[in-house]
Amino acid sequence: MKGQRWLKLVRIIISLFFLAGFLLVFSDVRAKLPSTFSTILTYFQFWPSIQKYSSIPGILAIGFVFVIIFTLIAGRVYCSTICPLGILQDAMIFIQKITYGKRSKYRYKKPLNFIRYSILGFLTISLLFAGIFAINLLDPFANFGRIASTIYQPIFIIGNNFVSKILMHFGFYSLQPLPIKEFNALPFFFALCIFLTLISMVIYRGRLYCNTICPVGAFLGLVSKVSFLKIRISKNQCSQCGKCQTVCKANCINVKTRIIDESRCIACFNCINSCENSSIVYVKALSRKDKPVLMQDINKRNFLKSGAIYVTSFPLIAHIVKLGDGNITTIRNHDSENPQNSPGDFRTRGPISPPGSKGIDNLKANCIGCQLCISVCPTKVLQPSFLEYGFTGMMLPRMNNDTGFCNYECTKCGEVCPSGAIIPLTKDIKKITQIGTVVFERDHCVVFKSEKSCGSCSEHCPTQAVHMISYKGFLTIPETNPEICIGCGACEHVCPVTDPHAAIFIIPHKVHKLAKLPANEKKVDSNANQEFPF
Amino acid sequence: MKRRAFLFKTFAATIASGALFSMGKWNTVVAQGQNQENELPFDMVAIKNGDPSTMFDTAIAALGGMKKFVKPGQTVLVKPNIGWDATPERAANTNPELVGRIVKHCFDAGAKSVMVFDNSCDEWTRCYKNSGIEAAVKQAGGQIVTGKDETQYREVEISNGNVLKKTKVHKLMIESDVIINVPVLKNHGGAKMSLSMKNLMGVVWDREFYHKNDLQQCIADFVTYRKPDLNVIDGFRVMKRNGPRGVSVADVVEMKYQILSKDIVAADTAATKIFGIDTKEVGHILLAEKLGLGTTNLDSLNIKRITL
Repeated sequence: MKGQRWLKLVRIIISLFFLAGFLLVFSDVRAKLPSTFSTILTYFQFWPSIQKYSSIPGILAIGFVFVIIFTLIAGRVYCSTICPLGILQDAMIFIQKITYGKRSKYRYKKPLNFIRYSILGFLTISLLFAGIFAINLLDPFANFGRIASTIYQPIFIIGNNFVSKILMHFGFYSLQPLPIKEFNALPFFFALCIFLTLISMVIYRGRLYCNTICPVGAFLGLVSKVSFLKIRISKNQCSQCGKCQTVCKANCINVKTRIIDESRCIACFNCINSCENSSIVYVKALSRKDKPVLMQDINKRNFLKSGAIYVTSFPLIAHIVKLGDGNITTIRNHDSENPQNSPGDFRTRGPISPPGSKGIDNLKANCIGCQLCISVCPTKVLQPSFLEYGFTGMMLPRMNNDTGFCNYECTKCGEVCPSGAIIPLTKDIKKITQIGTVVFERDHCVVFKSEKSCGSCSEHCPTQAVHMISYKGFLTIPETNPEICIGCGACEHVCPVTDPHAAIFIIPHKVHKLAKLPANEKKVDSNANQEFPF
Repeated sequence: MKRRAFLFKTFAATIASGALFSMGKWNTVVAQGQNQENELPFDMVAIKNGDPSTMFDTAIAALGGMKKFVKPGQTVLVKPNIGWDATPERAANTNPELVGRIVKHCFDAGAKSVMVFDNSCDEWTRCYKNSGIEAAVKQAGGQIVTGKDETQYREVEISNGNVLKKTKVHKLMIESDVIINVPVLKNHGGAKMSLSMKNLMGVVWDREFYHKNDLQQCIADFVTYRKPDLNVIDGFRVMKRNGPRGVSVADVVEMKYQILSKDIVAADTAATKIFGIDTKEVGHILLAEKLGLGTTNLDSLNIKRITL
């Protein structure tokens, strides 16, 4: 059984692949990496995958099924190799070890099952009332995303720009500076709280977060109770020296009884390598050999059945709840918004949801708030919301035309979205997806007020929904054609008028529409073969 | 003793610095002498019916070669239009083949470094890449520089400006020995035409000021800060409408023109005639003539016309 030492090595290699991969994805400020890379990494993320399945069912969204299968076979390997927040905690433990010489010695602790299952139960029930909002706040991937986006990415950008500046000083322009992203207090402080909580929990008791707070951890813990492979202590060889429990991050090895609490075991395999007698083995739990008699084994078959029903019904529940939630939010938003008779009012226009999100309700029903789209948005137009979408819509992406405008050719946010909240659009569809329409207030326009040329809005308009028409003398003034406007916000972003607001702006659609294609103008005539006209 | 030594040293230092100073002047005199050697055979070269590289090769040869503009060891800024995330066929940006060719000519003339940048309107890395200019410049050995790093811009006085009195300019525009301005000839909704002078808006940080305070005058004012040493107007593909961004290739016509001139006003005037618009409609060209930046009277110039 000495041969099982490789298990830990494999675990470390896979986890480093995922952690490095995710850090790379969140370093991709300008969206240069192929989207398939982040799609592969996020495919197996449990909660995003469930969301994606209920939004766009299909083979591309069944990562969570694989996670359950992995867990049924091998225990909570998800938590030790795939979950970036789990790996982040392992990294913290590693840093702790190299900083203090040795890692803190763990001891067996009783599980905090009451807290753990209360949270899981509460979150499941909260689906009925608040949609997925409460789960998003504790979901490990969403939290990793928020930490990576608001803490890691700024540090990466500042570091990159520092090096770039030094190189530029000496005339090397090869390393380009990256745009500093906007600071958003809410996701930053939320991520900071989670980050500090993680650090203190890691110092206090290793993977305490995963076994007490994390809803995915609690759920997979239940599944892993019936897993095929389990870590077991062989009675015959074990001398009860207790080395294994000092390396157990999950505090789940009870040396006295030689029982490992598999609902908390995250399959890190540290114990196997720590055991000098090789009495800890990773074996088929269904075989009778080497197996202590446990309560849950008796009811295993029953549990397996009910567990299977729970698991398969989960996305279904989420889907049904979503439909209901959609109606609730529609009514709620209707109350707070102005009646339809003033669709052009800048101040009460509400948030603009990104193309591919289909509309506000769909975004709120599917987005887990991981900030991945915001992190890779090359134009910085995507910013996290505060209360624009309502209380249960905090930290979701919204289009902020102050910080940027949506690039006409770019479809990145939908390509990277792990939860299907922003569906991937082809370029052709994106170019006619109307997230809002343009409103031009001529009274505020520079051309009208000061009778000087401007045309900034029309200049940037990709469809010429804003075009310049003859005004006084040789002057030109904007004219709009909302039918072909897609609401990218370029005109609003570049409009030089700021007082009281841009003279041209976007009024969002609550449910996205399709814009008409720009009129197929005839190809311009060529006068190329003439003689020199001067 | 000490005082005497001090006085002596001061005296010596004064003489030495004076000598250095006059040497500096003497250098300028020499440089001016060289400038006279560099007198161009034509005020303008207009060429048509070729591909961008061939037209530039022929036209620059007619002007006496790139060595007339770039001396060995000099630093060069080539300023194309890389404003938009669009492919070369859309003609929203300067032709990449032409930009690459100019970079190559600069190095052949002995340039120490050739830098290329624009303060793009769309996200700049997408513009640089999709315009094809990044690849063309790198292939020719030039360096691509971001125009989106505000710390690279320095505030300068525009002493002859009417409206634009000071603005933040990219340090390459300030420090480079030679400036080669390579606009693309196209329609422009706000400024009527986007040509050599309009293209120089891309070395300025705060374009919003222009749009707020008389766009046409600001465009002309800025040219008084520093005139490019050479303007190369790319009229290979011309965007006839919906400019400066354009909607599709239907807006574009292949005209296969190129204009080279040191006189920025004359170059832009010629371009309006090729485009087929009355020069008077393009406000900043007339305003620039008023500022003494060049002439719109093409008849007064010695123009070489080449048809390939």
